[in-house]
Amino acid sequence: MNLTTFYLAVAGLILAPLVGGLVAGVDRVLTARMQSRMGPPLLQPFYDVGKLWSKVIAPASHWQGLFVRWALVASLASDVLLAAGADVLMCFFVQAASASFVALGAFCGSSPYSKLGAQRELFQLLAYEPVFLVAILCMAKVSGGFDAYSFMASDQPLLYKMPLIVPGLLFVVLVKLRKSPFDISGSHHMHQEVVRGVYTDYAGRDFALLEIAHWADVTVVLWICSFLWATSPLAMVVTAFLFLFAALVIDNISARLTWRHMLKVVAPISLVLATANLLWLYME
Amino acid sequence: MSFLKTSQIKSPWLMHFDCGSCNGCDIETLACLTPVYDVERFGIINVGNPRHADVLVVTGTVNPRNAEILKNIYSQMPDPKLVIAVGACGCSGGVFRDAPNVLGGIDKVIPVDVYVPGCPAKPEAIMDAVVTGLGKLKGILEAS
Repeated sequence: MNLTTFYLAVAGLILAPLVGGLVAGVDRVLTARMQSRMGPPLLQPFYDVGKLWSKVIAPASHWQGLFVRWALVASLASDVLLAAGADVLMCFFVQAASASFVALGAFCGSSPYSKLGAQRELFQLLAYEPVFLVAILCMAKVSGGFDAYSFMASDQPLLYKMPLIVPGLLFVVLVKLRKSPFDISGSHHMHQEVVRGVYTDYAGRDFALLEIAHWADVTVVLWICSFLWATSPLAMVVTAFLFLFAALVIDNISARLTWRHMLKVVAPISLVLATANLLWLYME
Repeated sequence: MSFLKTSQIKSPWLMHFDCGSCNGCDIETLACLTPVYDVERFGIINVGNPRHADVLVVTGTVNPRNAEILKNIYSQMPDPKLVIAVGACGCSGGVFRDAPNVLGGIDKVIPVDVYVPGCPAKPEAIMDAVVTGLGKLKGILEAS
């Protein structure tokens, strides 16, 4: 590891959650504008986390604090791996570990809504992780390596060779942003049929840390999506924004699905499309 | 003021509890979230969990059955917290104050910071109450 890689890793560690927070702010403002509302200030997510951090409340379970911190470490580690140009597959697995820690922490709580949310979170993991994995395999096949720099080094956009993974990646973005129709385990919006789902029992500082972990996760997912058009940094930012914007439009025009529908219909379709793309790449 | 104290004023998450209201004040409270009033521009979000809430908005009269639930919800909210009594019933018991099963307004059970009169209270008045409550909270935070 040379010094530049170290600096990039540190930049990833600090900037990725900040970018995720800004994405959350843009998300709330754009959502409000789509609904003919003014919406909160752009920095509202940072105020929310600051407020949560200043609230002192006993945790629902002592294990929760541990799992939240591990989720945060795993989410930040996935950002650091991407920024340092490490193996994207490793980044994917570390990020999946983070989501598992969130579910484990929710299982420790006493609220039935929290437990129901945790079960749904596991179903979501089961639905989107294979699609995400195949999408990364497609990118690796086209770019000829698994490290992030290879993904960003190709001359022509990866999208030309993998149009069929776009629905799958959009599915992943919707799940990770906790947007309708896949805000099943816990909605981005504050109220749903299972209160806050997987987030119900987290409160105070634990919830603030979880929110930062969520920002880091969102950055990773949008970053991986931006590899589809990685001809320049600006093109990557625009690609990530297009995925975010598509997710917001879908969120505003669709109702929540059940986990059964997600697992039996949406996940298989997007997985079949992504796998067909992978097979085509191998047969080419 | 530090960033953390400013955040507490700029991010009031609101929980609404119907303590036995006729639903008139509840409809007006929910109207605050609609595009017409857009309460989110103050950073206010309607949450369903007392552990996430900073402001408790209570509508309706208190009776011996729901007094326990009200106390339970209030005790689950982390400090510092605000309580807003909405409507004539929430403030004093309203026309039901002499009924045998009615204890009276919200302040018979938990401390109330801001009272919103009206039958039903207007959405503008409810939003004004939250902003007034935040002014009170700001004073407390600045003094601490």
